[in-house]
Order: sequence, then structure tokens, then C-alpha cells
Amino acid sequence: MIASLSCPRPLILIPLNLMVAGVCVLLAAGAAQAAKVELSAEHWGNPAGERCVSCHEKSSAGLVRQWHESAHREAGINCLDCHQAEAADVDAMEHEGEIIATIVSPKDCGRCHTKEYEEQAGSVHAEAYAKIETRIPALAHQMTGGAMQVAGCDQCHGSRVKVLGDGTLDPATWPNSGIGRVNPDGSKGSCSSCHGRHAFSKAQAREPSACVRCHSGPDSPDKEVFEASKHGMLYAAQRDQMNLDGDTWIAGQDYTAAPTCTTCHMGAAGKIPATHDVGLRNAWNLNQPVSHQQYLVLFEDGSKLERPANEAPPRRGSELEKTDGSLAKVRAVIAPERRRGVMSLVCLECHGKAFTESFMTQFDNVVELYNSKFGEPAQAIMRALYEHGLLSPLPFDEPLEFTYWELWHDEGARARHGASMMSANHAWWEGMYLVGRNFYSRFLPQARAVAGEQAAELIDPILAASGQHAWLNETAQGNPILGWMPPQPEAPEPEPTAATSADEGEGEGEDEEGGDQ
Amino acid sequence: MIKLNVAPFITRHVLFALVAGGLGGVVFMFFLIEFDHYTSSNAFCTTCHSMTYAEVSYRDTPHYDSPSGVRASCGDCHVSEGIIMATYDHAIGTKDLIKQLFGPDYDDPVINLLHLPEAAFAARDWFRKRDSATCKRCHTLEAIQGERANTAAIHQEETDGKSCIDCHYNLVHRHVPSEQTFKREAWNAMVEEEFGLESGTAERMLADEG
Repeated sequence: MIASLSCPRPLILIPLNLMVAGVCVLLAAGAAQAAKVELSAEHWGNPAGERCVSCHEKSSAGLVRQWHESAHREAGINCLDCHQAEAADVDAMEHEGEIIATIVSPKDCGRCHTKEYEEQAGSVHAEAYAKIETRIPALAHQMTGGAMQVAGCDQCHGSRVKVLGDGTLDPATWPNSGIGRVNPDGSKGSCSSCHGRHAFSKAQAREPSACVRCHSGPDSPDKEVFEASKHGMLYAAQRDQMNLDGDTWIAGQDYTAAPTCTTCHMGAAGKIPATHDVGLRNAWNLNQPVSHQQYLVLFEDGSKLERPANEAPPRRGSELEKTDGSLAKVRAVIAPERRRGVMSLVCLECHGKAFTESFMTQFDNVVELYNSKFGEPAQAIMRALYEHGLLSPLPFDEPLEFTYWELWHDEGARARHGASMMSANHAWWEGMYLVGRNFYSRFLPQARAVAGEQAAELIDPILAASGQHAWLNETAQGNPILGWMPPQPEAPEPEPTAATSADEGEGEGEDEEGGDQ
Repeated sequence: MIKLNVAPFITRHVLFALVAGGLGGVVFMFFLIEFDHYTSSNAFCTTCHSMTYAEVSYRDTPHYDSPSGVRASCGDCHVSEGIIMATYDHAIGTKDLIKQLFGPDYDDPVINLLHLPEAAFAARDWFRKRDSATCKRCHTLEAIQGERANTAAIHQEETDGKSCIDCHYNLVHRHVPSEQTFKREAWNAMVEEEFGLESGTAERMLADEG
């Protein structure tokens, strides 16, 4: 078991200049700035849409005001250009003489914003609901209740929007603007997850706050990590120099004050084009029990798939099963090294090569430490307990399952995210320190209790194989951190001095000597 | 004997017939008024079990339960004003009675719900053809204030060429999509889910009606 959990090849062995060469394919994809809408203006400005505005200015003045101040309004795009539907659409409804739909899906936005639509399709964002759909019931339905899927999970991951037979949207699935929402038209995602309706302000989406609704809290504290990092420090102090309203927003050109989430994960930088595939530049998956570097598989049909790098990369032209179970032909495979290369090119706008490479080494080392010392052994121990019937397959009916869940999903994720974005506090006190505390003080004792007499057979070999838990055997080690040093019998007896000649002191000394004899 | 100077064809019999017919006519008018009134009442409409399904949702709306104590009965909305039109509506309405007696089993909640969309479309057409006349028995466009100031403005400025029913449907009874966007398969699936029926049951039930 352990043997198969070997670390992936560390990225640090690949020189940065090779990475740069490796990203040429990605660079060829587009210009180094946000794509302009190519559809000609005759396709929008539906005159009937003006009637919507006239009434909604009175009935819902706030949203019309937002639209009035938007770039959409400036370009002559009105309500009906986005909300018009065909009567045959599953979620179509008649409204004041027009056939419309409430939900404007990424596919709808993609009529004009084609490049962004194609990029986000298949991304970790667009697949955020599909990826966890089968895992949701354990916590949201069994442990708590369906109401929590709606108010919790789905708010970030998105819902599978259900149109009821009477044409209304099921309140168990909507309102929802989660990033992986499965829309009635079959498209996945929700542009308004990050781009607030109805202003759709560029500046707003470039702010770190665009990501905070989901990327905060115990399992993915990216807001907190960013704020506690040097990047966040500079952003807070120099926000007025960020040129957030700029027509183009290329790091190193249009702004240099600080990076935001968008800068590194999506933004244009130097020759790197902007992308709406937010996971494209991520070499690692940091939100699994054990982190893997990942290939990004691009299919002929435009969809994408993440595959762990410890599996053989799929061949170009071969058929591969997608997340939805269907088969598709592989168009290209982007290796983790290339993804890291693109991210590093963003860094290079402000940092030197050696600095960037060495930072990535520090980051990779934390992930590999987590994997090899805690993630892999914990995963192997859980598997052994399940295989031997010592844990029931039902999730979260045993305390150990909560312990394991928090180990990797919360504490382990915090440690890895903290290291990836330079918050010392989250890498250590909020992260790896808690991983260690959990592993030794909760996870192992609980696992041993579950294993009972089989602990020596099932658990000890796994710990031994990792080679990183031997320190537990050196129980006589000095303990300056907790203030206890064990007596050291080999040390020569101190000479009595005039300073310690008080009666009581002498008496204690005699007692100790007597004891030794 | 008093000799009246009337046309010779006004015989005593004719005179009697005129008086009797006139009195009879008045009595018949009173009867019609009372008949229309009674047959417009909630109590009469819900004597058919099939109509109680429509009553359920109605009882949850302000048309049944308004703070001012005004209550619109079935007939207030669904029967025209005036003895002639009210009688006409009732005469036409007897087709519903015939269908109730000889048509599908509308008392069955599943059958009832399966047929609800057609009933809703017909009712909406009925309102549209009469320019929502029965709405206007109580509601006066110029007087609509609403809870928000802009409700008044919408009704003053945005209603040209529109009738109440154009915007205000699905107010009182169970939500049914517009005829343009209605999807029979989705509706059937909803009914099947609601009553725990196997997929395809609804379609078969409708087909069995012939």
C-alpha cells in the first residue's frame, strides 16, 4: 500500500527556462489581455428590452440602477439581450408579453463572451458541483439535513437547478449563484458568482473580495491567507494604485502595486494571457487527502479533466472517460510542469528567477511533507480499517471519520494553502501544527482503539514505513519547550558551594544522595 | 259595462296573457337574479368535489382572506356582471357540469391536476376576451396604490394596451405556466412525482380518456 504512495516527481528539478519553453502552447492561445467581444453590435439592443427598463425602474430600481452604470448599458445591451428565451427552453416563461428566463447561464453570456465561456467550461470552477455531487449526501443529508445543502454546500459549489413541472424554479435549488451550478440549459457555472449582477464591474471582479464568499473559512482560508501574506499587506496599503478600473489589466504593465487572487490565478501578466480557467496554473491539487500534481487533459469537444500525475498521461487522440461518464477524444495534455511554468511567469513580473524557483521549492516541500508524513499514512490506515471491517463503510457514523476528515479537509488544506500563498500563520499554527496535533493526539489513539488487537499489525507498519514517526521512540529526549528536563544520572555531582549552605538545601541534597545510594 | 277604446284584437284573453306574462317575466327575472347569485356562490361551486381543489389554493390568497374583509367569491371573478351576461355565462358553464357528469373523473385529484392547465388557459382566455371586466368590478386602475409608491406609477405609465390578466395570472389558483411555454411532459412528471406514481402513468391516464 505504502509503496504505491510514492511522491510525485518534485517540480523543483525542472529549470525555469524549460518551464518557460513549455508554456508556449498556452501563450499561443490568445492576446495578453481580456478578449474583446467579437459579435457585431447588430446582435444586441433588442428594442423590446427598453420596455423592461421602463417598468423595472419602478419595480426594482436597485438592479436597474446597477445596469445603468454598467458597461453593458454603455454598449447598448438591455435586459432582453441576456434574459430572452425560446418558448421551448425548459425554464422559459411568459413575462409581460415576452418569453424570458430568469437564469442567465454561462452559455447565454458566452453568446458574446465566447472566449471566457470556453475557458471556464470544464474548469475546476465549472465542475465544482459535479465533482462533489455524490459526496454531498453524507454530510448535508445524513448528518444534518437537505436544508444545509441549499444554504451551505450549494451556495459555493452550485446547485443542479430543477425546473418544476409548473415552470417555476425549485426553491431547493434556486436562488443559487454557486460557481459550478448545473443550469437548466445543461451548461455548468455561474458568471454572477464572481461578477456581481447587474453592474458586472471589471473592478469588482478584480478585487480579492470577488473570491471571498467561498474561499474563506476553515477548509479553504484563502481570504485569510492572502490578507496575512506580504501580497495582501501590499494590496491593503496600495489599493488606490491598483488601476482596478483599467480597460486592460496586465500585471507589470497596468499595475505593479500588488497582486490579487485574479492576478496569479487568472490575470494577464507580461506575455501570459488572461484565462477564465482558474485552475489552469495550479500544478497541485491541495484539497484532497493526499495532494497530487495534476495533468490537465483537454478534449476535442472542449471539455477538460484533471488527472493525477502519478498515473500515466493519456495519449493524444486516445479516448478517455470524462467526469460525467461519457467518452471523449484527448486533444492535448498539459503537464503539471507547464502549469507551474505559467504561474511562475506571473511571479517573474515582480520577482527574480531564483527567488521564484526557491519559493516554489519551499511550497513543494510543505506539500510533500504533509503527504508523506500525515496524508499518506492516515489514508492508508483508514483504508486498512475499512478493509478489515473495523470501520463501517457508512461515512461519519464513527468519531474517527470526523477526525480523519478534519485532518486533511480542514487542517491539512489550511497548511497547504498557507504555504502556497505565504501566510506563515496558516502554514503553521492554523495548519501543520494542528495536523500534527490531530494526527498524534486524536487520529492515532482513535485508530488504535478501533483496530484493537490488530493495531500492531495494521497501524504500526504503516507508521514505520513512512520513516517519519521514529521520534516518538526517543522518549528520554530533553524537553525545554514544555519546561521539563529529565534527571541526567551520568552528570557529575555538583560541588557543594558556600552559596547553597542553607539548612533546608543541604537536607534536600542529603535526601537525594541517600536515594541514589 | 265599460267599453275600452282599444284595438279589437286586444281581447280579454290577450289582456290576461299580457298581464300574466308580464308578472311571470318579473318573477322569472327575480328568479334569474337569485339563480345567478346562488350559482355564483362558493358554496354552490364547491358542491362538486372537483372544485374543492381550486378552493384550496384560493383560500391562501388575499382574494379570500384580505385584511379589509372584502372577499371575492368564485362568481365575482368567473361570472360576468349583469343578468344577461351572468345567465349566458351560466348557460355556457353547463358544459362543465356535463363534463363533470359524463367526462373524466375530475373528482380524482390526479385527473384533476392533469387537466388543470387546460382549465387555466381557458379561464385566462375568458378574462382576456372580456378585458378583465370582472377584475374591474373591484379594482379601479386609477386608484391602484400598492404597497410601494412605484406600484401606482407602474399602473399609470406601463399599462397602455394591457389588460389586468396579461400581467396578473397565477394569482389565486395553483401555478400553471403560460400556454406558450407550457410543457405537457414536465407537467405530467410533476404530477407523477407529487402522487408517487410511476413514470408514464399520467400519459396513460390521459390516453385512456380517449
